Amino acid sequence: MMSDKKNIAEGDNHSHDHAHSHLPSDPELRVKAVETLLLNKGLIDSKTLDELIDTYENRIGPKNGAKVVAKAWVDLEYKKRLLNDATSAIRELSYQGRQGENMVVVENTPETHNVIVCTLCSCYPWPVLGIPPTWYKSDEYRSRTVREPRKVLLEFGLSLDPKVKIKVWDSTAEIRYLVLPMRPKGTEHMGENELAELVTRNSMIGTGLPKEIK
Amino acid sequence: MSRLHDMGGRFGDGSIPVPRNDENEVINFEPTFKYEWHAKAWAITLASGALGEWNLDISRHYRECLPPKDYINFSYYEKWLAALVNLLIDKELISLNELKEYVSAAKNGTLTKFSDKDVKLDHRTWLAKDVQKTLGWGGPSVRDTNLKPVFDIGDKVITQNYSPNKDVSGGHTRLPKYAMGRVGVIHSYNNNHVFPDKNAHGFGENPLPLYTVEFKSSELWGELAESQNDSIFLDLWEPYLKLSPN
Repeated sequence: MMSDKKNIAEGDNHSHDHAHSHLPSDPELRVKAVETLLLNKGLIDSKTLDELIDTYENRIGPKNGAKVVAKAWVDLEYKKRLLNDATSAIRELSYQGRQGENMVVVENTPETHNVIVCTLCSCYPWPVLGIPPTWYKSDEYRSRTVREPRKVLLEFGLSLDPKVKIKVWDSTAEIRYLVLPMRPKGTEHMGENELAELVTRNSMIGTGLPKEIK
Repeated sequence: MSRLHDMGGRFGDGSIPVPRNDENEVINFEPTFKYEWHAKAWAITLASGALGEWNLDISRHYRECLPPKDYINFSYYEKWLAALVNLLIDKELISLNELKEYVSAAKNGTLTKFSDKDVKLDHRTWLAKDVQKTLGWGGPSVRDTNLKPVFDIGDKVITQNYSPNKDVSGGHTRLPKYAMGRVGVIHSYNNNHVFPDKNAHGFGENPLPLYTVEFKSSELWGELAESQNDSIFLDLWEPYLKLSPN
């Protein structure tokens, strides 16, 4: 990968003027200029862009994660596999690949509540949750969650008993985390599909709980 | 001794921008991309990455190397786009003159003058028919090596202090500042992974043991810790760690 074109050994790897400073101030124009240039050079294909966007707008998202959680709620053997080797267990449902190559599932219990963050960038388990929401990528969430998770969770409307241990998982490498929330009370009669409807995205990040049944 | 992206634990940030509906309930499903240009900035970044001229760690480092003023002022996808442009130029996939030409056309509303150009796809270009296959495979960072981990589960370790990247001053690292020089316990060993501190600078993959390390909240934040009971877990490569003497 080391290139003779440009020495990137320095920390500040662009020794010349930053090329990006030539971009127009309107971000829409900025993207359009770069996109058109790359298309005309044949370095990207518009059909590929459409396919990518369609995939994450319509096919890959938190509904995948919800199915994993619901299955773990009804199938104890599956839950064991999920906690033991999440990558393989999630692959059983055909969710795999980019930004989910090494999955770890952490289980909420009456004694422990798990929260996921990426303080250095925006690492997030794409195959099961899709593209991260804006708040997950915000400076506020990235800076505060490791230092004051209880205050952060309160802002999501989640008030935890002081006796509950909070475990914050900072995604500093290529492991991607998913929270297995506790199954809501009074759902014993419900099947996997119905249960999946109760699993919110935030409950799989740890900033929320599954929906209660009325 | 750090860059702006390394923001874990810092003071000054306000409330989390949690989206709520009219009944003040937290919203769990927003559109994947708020604006079309967000989707485009994201997609051209992925598609350009697929050309194979750089790896994930290099692209992360380019975002981190944006000048602090820009890092602060740019929104998320503006950072992505700026870093992408710098990479495209440094890797000579586009030239500064070409960029200027297209930028000026975009400003004048004359980008369409380029649109009927006869385009021949580069041999490296990511094709739509390969998208699902490539996404499904992903970019695994685990490597098969004979390397045995030095630390055992339960070992007490202390993290490096100051700049963890030993090769490059101000270089890429995945040890956040808030966890430098702190004592933690090895929670698990997760095989050997490509080492970003080397890989981000083109020094090869150098796969090394990766551990999950548990730090007590009180070890990281002292008296500021919200609860003595809470813990923070980080995924850290072996060179970031030493056995703790006490």
